[in-house]
Amino acid sequence: MSRVDSRFVWVVACLLLASTAASAHEARPAYLEIKEIAPGQFSVLWRTPVLAGMRLPIVLKLPDDVKNLREPNVQELSDSFVERRWIDAGPTGLAGKRIEFPGLQLTITDVLVRVELLDGRKWTAIIHPSQPWVEIAASQTWLGVAGTYIVQGVRHILFGADHMLFVLGLLLIVKDRWMLLKTVTGFTVAHSITLAIATLGYAEVPVLPLNAAIALSILFLGPEIVRSWRGETSFTIRHPWVVAFAFGLLHGFGFASALTSAGLPRHELPLALVSFNVGVEFGQLGFIALILALERSFRILEVRWPRWAQLLPGYTVGSLGAFWTVQRVALLFGGSR
Amino acid sequence: MKSTSRFHLPLYAFIVLAFVMCALPVDAHLYSTGMGPFYDGLMHFLISPEDIVPVLALALLAGLRGASYGRRALFTLPVAWLFGGLAGLSAMTTRPHPFIAAAWFLMLGGLLAADAKVSLRVTTALAALLGVYHGYLDGAGMGQFETASVGLLGLVFAIFVLIALAAAFVVRLRADWARIAVRVAGSWIAASGLLMLGWAVRTR
Repeated sequence: MSRVDSRFVWVVACLLLASTAASAHEARPAYLEIKEIAPGQFSVLWRTPVLAGMRLPIVLKLPDDVKNLREPNVQELSDSFVERRWIDAGPTGLAGKRIEFPGLQLTITDVLVRVELLDGRKWTAIIHPSQPWVEIAASQTWLGVAGTYIVQGVRHILFGADHMLFVLGLLLIVKDRWMLLKTVTGFTVAHSITLAIATLGYAEVPVLPLNAAIALSILFLGPEIVRSWRGETSFTIRHPWVVAFAFGLLHGFGFASALTSAGLPRHELPLALVSFNVGVEFGQLGFIALILALERSFRILEVRWPRWAQLLPGYTVGSLGAFWTVQRVALLFGGSR
Repeated sequence: MKSTSRFHLPLYAFIVLAFVMCALPVDAHLYSTGMGPFYDGLMHFLISPEDIVPVLALALLAGLRGASYGRRALFTLPVAWLFGGLAGLSAMTTRPHPFIAAAWFLMLGGLLAADAKVSLRVTTALAALLGVYHGYLDGAGMGQFETASVGLLGLVFAIFVLIALAAAFVVRLRADWARIAVRVAGSWIAASGLLMLGWAVRTR
């Protein structure tokens, strides 16, 4: 395979922009945990993420026949808004009842719902804005839980314009099939390592500096792409897999923040971690396959791009990296959005 | 005389189109993925048979004719769809005519099945007509959403990708049986059009 032809990718890059310009890691899911503490009685943990002092406008609406056992406890943390409630759902419990999330449809985030019943049954679901409510099922298999997190991983990649743009930048530098394999593998191994480390609680990176560093990794690729077009060489151009591995470590922390910011229960972490990572890989490989297939299609159709279109991808990657870097550093130091 | 009429073909096509679009009110929707308007628009295209099937048929037809035809369809159809969509955004009261949807299936499926030797000009006209008509309908249906223009971009992106992949796939086909298989797909599309037409007549 010849190097991935950069001349077409501007289309993808521009449309990526249109899709999710500056929203990459900022769409952390809200989290609802419901634990049965006595027959028909539940403790409820409702956490909505807060970014730059702004709380997501999602409201938790429990079924009408639910009564509070005691006064709710509300806590405002730096990164989230946490509400604890203790409720009585009557003798039939919550099975088959509907919990609504008014306001979710106005956002682009999800709600992760986890239910634990007294008899040990567990149930997990991700609620999307397209259907801002959930009906509590009676039971769920581990396969169902895994499926939920796989979907979450795929969605995170599809929604994370910064991850996709970084991968796109790498594809523009990579020159042959073997190097592509090494680079993709390097990125995958690296982000899997830090995703696991962070998710299992062995390391923690604050979200704001992390996002700024991820933006910086994209900015870093811009000049390298231009250098590669000019026929110049550099360490990154000769060994893109090393750069993919190094920055992949950063991106893994980013993936982890999407998974752990919801405050997942620890005993579910291994399954969630593996499934989420599988989902991330599906999303990432799907994106790479799409780029390669498009590039091949353009060659078969003998598409000849004008000069400005040839230059656009590198400048798009670099410019967006610069924009996100400035934006996120401003956020980091308390600037307004 | 012949060359003059060929020259005016796109013009005639757009006049017909203008009449068709003014004819009736429309109803459409934007599929909600929960991932933002770009993906909503993209998904809207992928789950709308009345959109995706004619585009696929045109891409396959262009692919059968060769790389230059595929290239022409690749750039004409998405651009026409975008312009049609932008025009449709401000028109929220149009209804797709069931006969016309069936006609697209019949015509493009029929041309594909027959491996018709359409000229590059006709291919361009078909792509422009299809793009403006369906884009207008999509735009009209999406106009009620504030982020419809971004949704439209997602939709156009999906069209661009589909044409690129499908046309390139067919251009590469050399074996007779493979090209016949593509034509068989055309016959199915035409047959679907016939069914749609029958249904439209029956429920009219």
